[in-house]
Amino acid sequence: MTEHRLRSRALDALTWTIVVVSLLPIAWMLLSSLRNYSDIAAGEQLVGGLSLRWQNYRDIWVNVDFFNYFRNSLIVCGLTTLISTAVAACAAYALARFRFRGSNAFSLSITVTQVIPGMLFFLPLYMLYRNLGQSFGLVMLDTYHGLVFLYVALFTPASIWIMRGFFVSIPRELEDAAVMDGCSRLGAFVRIVLPISAPGIIATATFVFLLAWDELFFAWVLTSSADVQTIPVGIRLFISQFQHRYDLMMAAGAVSTLPVLAAFFAGQRYFVKGLAAGAVKG
Amino acid sequence: MTSIALLSQQRLPESRTVRRKRIDAFPYLMLLPAVLLMAAVNLTPILQGFYMSLLKLNQFTLAQYLDAPFVGLDNYRQVLFDADNPLRTGLGHALRNTALYTLTVSLSAVAIGLAVALLMNRDFPGRNIARTLLLLPWIVPSYVVGTLWGFMWQRDVGIVNVVLVDWLHLLDEKPFWLLGSNSFWAIVIPTVWRAWPVMMLIFLAALQSIPEDQYEAATLDGVSRWKQFLHITLPLLKPVIVIQLMFQVIDNVYSYNIVSMMFGNGAGYPGEWADLLMPLLTRQSFSYWLFGQGAAVSFVMMMLMLVFVGVWLKAFRKSMTGHD
Repeated sequence: MTEHRLRSRALDALTWTIVVVSLLPIAWMLLSSLRNYSDIAAGEQLVGGLSLRWQNYRDIWVNVDFFNYFRNSLIVCGLTTLISTAVAACAAYALARFRFRGSNAFSLSITVTQVIPGMLFFLPLYMLYRNLGQSFGLVMLDTYHGLVFLYVALFTPASIWIMRGFFVSIPRELEDAAVMDGCSRLGAFVRIVLPISAPGIIATATFVFLLAWDELFFAWVLTSSADVQTIPVGIRLFISQFQHRYDLMMAAGAVSTLPVLAAFFAGQRYFVKGLAAGAVKG
Repeated sequence: MTSIALLSQQRLPESRTVRRKRIDAFPYLMLLPAVLLMAAVNLTPILQGFYMSLLKLNQFTLAQYLDAPFVGLDNYRQVLFDADNPLRTGLGHALRNTALYTLTVSLSAVAIGLAVALLMNRDFPGRNIARTLLLLPWIVPSYVVGTLWGFMWQRDVGIVNVVLVDWLHLLDEKPFWLLGSNSFWAIVIPTVWRAWPVMMLIFLAALQSIPEDQYEAATLDGVSRWKQFLHITLPLLKPVIVIQLMFQVIDNVYSYNIVSMMFGNGAGYPGEWADLLMPLLTRQSFSYWLFGQGAAVSFVMMMLMLVFVGVWLKAFRKSMTGHD
């Protein structure tokens, strides 16, 4: 074997070692989620690891009522994804296709929202929500719609940028032809542009879903009842109550990773390409 | 995460424009929902937050909301200069930790991401699978990362000490990872673990866009691999690195999830070496109900961040656009 090939094999081995090492914590989460509570508490690391205890998953689902938080997360994040993608698609199309007074100002304001995120202003937001409920009867604290409204607004600016890139890359001849054939511009957008942009829409939706699923901060500040609280809040409350039930925490962690994992694999083809394409243009 | 989205604004092909004499309502209508949302959730709270920061808004005046007594810049004075202010308890530690944490995490994530991207930018068996697998830590929600590593760092039952002490015998005694100055690393390492895969993906894409012939010419001239990296790869990647570093800094300054899940059984009392600004600010604001002063802290943070981004973009404008 030549020196070059030997070096190449060594680098392959190094790369795969990095892959394996970086996955170890996830493997540990899965393994611990299947272990007996008393084995973990006794510090017996691998003993007893061979008898897999699927009961833990049943326990979190039924006894700890994890299902409740899971459902709330699905509702909140699902609605957020749908609405945010729709709003962002419209705005991105306007920015990609038209030059109009104020478009630069709007683009700048999108950039600013990325530098000073909404979470810095959680106190005024909390007061605003509280006041809307107390003075105007529009209850926003501790409701699905309060959380969804906030998430949509938080994730829309970034979504607009992703989608704008996709729209710019679509040739406008098709729309022009459709408009000449008597189609309205909204019609051309809905019937011509959106279908071609499906990869961009899927990429954006995946992106929003991942972000929304990961949101703990506002969920913690703005919700207080189990009917609305999402998974991260549920896990945090669980930890404060059952501080040593690592078996159940790890099971909850594994279950909470599943939906984002599914979303990622479903949208991966477009998502990874979109991420990469967006980045290279920088 | 958001950084990725923002990147696409750079150097996009100019959108072809239609010039119309009269004002066209269509783009405005398409923009309207986004504008309304951003006005409600971004603009209003900033304006209202600034006004709140000028009010004596505490547990007694909370019901008065914006009619609370006007105190001018007194909140800023108290937050910045009054050492006895309860909101400032631990603020010094949190500031120090946030600065160190941001610096360490951002640099490590970018450096590791770049190094692994270079490794991945070769032909080898299973390359696509490896790329997907490497992204998995980033798919795990950050609150799960906090819980998982909080478990792994446990002194007696945590796997980290088992590996270091029981298996490898690297240390004689099991250290406490979630107490004292060790806890700083306890928050840094999981954050880097989750952050670098995306950096890798972005750098890999950037590497693949560099034309092969640049390297071929250099190889023919007998230029070493290392010199090729320094003189071809690095300059071409510089715009991407500059932007990614900036967004890493922004992300990490506002970091909240991992810290708040890892400590004090989820109640979020991370101690003097693991507390960060956002966890501290939320905790203190709601435990003392000092909303006016909390808003003042937010404003100080906002100004600092704007100054940082302004300076950063000005310093690197040349390298990002290729001209002044």
